[in-house]
Amino acid sequence: MNAPAATFRAENRAVAERRGWTAAVGREWRAAALTVKLSAILLLAFYVFAAASPLVAPYDPAQQWRTMPDCPPMRLHPAPPSEWSHGFLYAYPMRLDNPIARHYAEDRSRRTFVRLFYRGHLFTTAPDAPPFFLMGSENLGRDLFSRIVYGARVSMCIGLVGVAISFSLGIMVGAFSGLMGGFADSAIMRLCEIEMSLPSFYFLLALAAVIPSGLSTTATFFLIVAIMAFISWAGFARVIRGMAASVRSAPYVEAARALGGSRRRLLFRHIIPAVIGFAAVNASLSIPGYILGESALSLLGLGIQEPAASWGNLLSQAMDPQTIAYFPWILIPGLFISAAVMAFNFLGDHLRDRFDPSNAA
Amino acid sequence: MAAFAIAVAAVAAICGCRVNRPRNDHAATQTLYDSMVSDPGTFNPVLITDSASAVAIGDMFESLTRVNPRTTLFEPGLARSWEFSDGDQTLTFHLRHDVKWSDGAPFTARDVLFTMRVIYDPKIPNSMVSAMMIDGKPIAASAPDDYTVVVRMPRPFAPILSSMQFAILPAHVLAGAYEAGRFNRTWGIDTPPDRLIGLGAFLMTRYVPAQLIAYRRNSDYWMRDEQGAPLPRLKGEVHLIVPDQNAQYLQFQSGMTDVYHPRPEEVWPLEQAAKRLNITVAKVGIDTGSLFFAFNRNPRHYVHDGVADPRYQWFTDVNFMRALAHAVDKQGMIDLCYRGLAVPAVSDVSPENKIYHNPNLKDYGYNLELAAQILDRAGYRMIRPGVRGDPEGRPLVFRLTTNTGVPVRDQMCAIFKQDLQKLGITVNYRPLDFITLVKALDLSFDWDCVLIGFTGAIEPNDASDFLRSSGNLHIWDPAQPKPATPWEAQIDHLMDEGTMVVDPYKRARYYWQIQQILHDQLPMIETVRAVTYVAYRNSLENYYPTVWGLYHPEWIEFRAR
Repeated sequence: MNAPAATFRAENRAVAERRGWTAAVGREWRAAALTVKLSAILLLAFYVFAAASPLVAPYDPAQQWRTMPDCPPMRLHPAPPSEWSHGFLYAYPMRLDNPIARHYAEDRSRRTFVRLFYRGHLFTTAPDAPPFFLMGSENLGRDLFSRIVYGARVSMCIGLVGVAISFSLGIMVGAFSGLMGGFADSAIMRLCEIEMSLPSFYFLLALAAVIPSGLSTTATFFLIVAIMAFISWAGFARVIRGMAASVRSAPYVEAARALGGSRRRLLFRHIIPAVIGFAAVNASLSIPGYILGESALSLLGLGIQEPAASWGNLLSQAMDPQTIAYFPWILIPGLFISAAVMAFNFLGDHLRDRFDPSNAA
Repeated sequence: MAAFAIAVAAVAAICGCRVNRPRNDHAATQTLYDSMVSDPGTFNPVLITDSASAVAIGDMFESLTRVNPRTTLFEPGLARSWEFSDGDQTLTFHLRHDVKWSDGAPFTARDVLFTMRVIYDPKIPNSMVSAMMIDGKPIAASAPDDYTVVVRMPRPFAPILSSMQFAILPAHVLAGAYEAGRFNRTWGIDTPPDRLIGLGAFLMTRYVPAQLIAYRRNSDYWMRDEQGAPLPRLKGEVHLIVPDQNAQYLQFQSGMTDVYHPRPEEVWPLEQAAKRLNITVAKVGIDTGSLFFAFNRNPRHYVHDGVADPRYQWFTDVNFMRALAHAVDKQGMIDLCYRGLAVPAVSDVSPENKIYHNPNLKDYGYNLELAAQILDRAGYRMIRPGVRGDPEGRPLVFRLTTNTGVPVRDQMCAIFKQDLQKLGITVNYRPLDFITLVKALDLSFDWDCVLIGFTGAIEPNDASDFLRSSGNLHIWDPAQPKPATPWEAQIDHLMDEGTMVVDPYKRARYYWQIQQILHDQLPMIETVRAVTYVAYRNSLENYYPTVWGLYHPEWIEFRAR
């Protein structure tokens, strides 16, 4: 066999594989309902927010404009071509004309130009110009949009990290328990049931309250995720254990055992691969729980702490009906939470319809 | 999601209230409705530890003297007059002859002596006894006849009139229970209201836990108005128990209550709606308490095995503290957290304490450049961009806390943190729930900096547990065996001196000096004081709120239609 032919064949195979992969995704995409497509796009956008927050957010999320608390969202106007050197878009700066009522008026005598791809941001204003608040500002005069973008880091990642922890823990314990059977199985499952019978939200509150002060925001974040994952792995382990127990008596597992396969081999080569598809679907459906859990904790002041932002702690300002009535834009983080939760649910449902073996028939 | 649903429901509730507002009959029945945040813990005036209980029985019991909230001076109460003699070491009260308990028994000196005996009983825990000790010894009292009480002090003791301001108990009702050792269990909240024997302007008629406490007018009350007509003029009172302030606000708007104390953000909407709701929104005055950042200087927290934590050196370095004082953006806090309805606090005593507040202190202005200069000069230099170090080059990092659930404090901490960040000082902020915070302050002493508030009183000696180095509320280093610094020793000395002079105007200079020392030494940095408001129905007459309470509450009535 000569070398060029081999190279050609290898390249050909690579192209074919690539085509196969993209084709599969394309096929899935075309088959999916509109809601699923929208969900996928939305989640992708949120993860872009999270990954590229410094780029997407126009301002530092902790920067306080102390003369502009609770400023309403500003409107953008296209700039006339003669002023394109300053920027293509501008807004009128807001002036606080009644500090007690927090009533603002547009200052029509001035303009603040919103520049695209400027100073390392997707869009922002010149450092000495009045700020542009796309979604308004919150009660300390910080830009709500920037905080939502940075908040996506916490709120969008908490689900992934949490699921990664509870998923691996649940799958290991569940599959092991199902494979072993007998006393070990009963003991592990009773432990899981005890864990599941704890009133989870109060348990979460108690655990969150003992997080030592003086930890950095990142450390607090991971502790909170770990706490939430610790609460949810047991239910997951029970389901996996049930599947593993039924797979254990399947002919191919019996065959592997009869051929002298070790317990580890049975676990990793036969049991876990059989349940992992279901587990993946289940995991995607449990992500919203983490997002909501974090927002509930933050709402009570036990989650991510100021000045770091998460969608939950941004929403905590909206606990007061007064505030909502006068500054309705502070509910925007709530829309982001609902959108993310809904998107994960649509996507998870879709994945279950496609990949759950019980639906295959 | 749940929060969102609650929010939507709340908005709907606001709108709903505007549409149908029930008519009330408060004016027709001359009954004043207001709200309180929690259930009382006890109806026993001596055992009270919480403010809800104090509100619940406040109108049922009285003391020998009362304070005029407008002048902050003492006025006759159950005692019609009193005089000092024997070089200010004897105080004689002459009691009113016309006061009757609600069961018809006369009020006499026996009741006063009985109440003092109960308060001094070591088996009965109460918050009054500390104010009634002179140099650790109880006050001796005797009754030469039924309507005279003579109080003898080992030395002149200026706060005595304030100390004698305890609610008097009916001896004929409670003496039996006290002798039998059951006093701590009497007059709990399960007592039928008709068995609570009082002599105040109102008597309790009904208590429904978590709902309301109702009162009727005491027709035998001793006070008369200028024309000799009996007081109080109201026929009844109802305190609704409403734990959520948002709900209280809605209830006031819907006409269920007649009086409401709005938060800063509610003042403007109420003023706007004043005409429609037929209410008056009035400024009451400046908060009487004090809200400050305290810095831990307790060696028990910092010194372990003879090695002191650097934070101990920073917080006891007056230059460091002065720089921090210049980094508190009080105007920003007023604008952002209080909607402009607050004033910068300079002294730990409120300006509403007209006699004892020192008006001559000069505030540390907000000036980050000056703060940076002070730090630089004292050796706290930038060690790398954005990070300032102490003279030994260790980065400046400390923890900041406050109690959870108070958004205003959260915001104030966020502002302080942001400004210190600009100076290169890292602050790790984490609020703690109230119980955990109190434990840290009282027991473990494991805290660096805390934003905390204390309530204020007219009598300056009431703050002695906070000001004296031996006090348990001497928050930056409590219960010192002997004063840790010369200035703390000086405050102790001034506290002693201040109690020796009876004339309040002559006393004031001792307390002015204490305020000056705290202002210079900065164990804590004062922040701001809210300007408080009250909203009430226009149909209420003679309603004169002050920060120290209502002026002449007995004269309040609803205007006849």
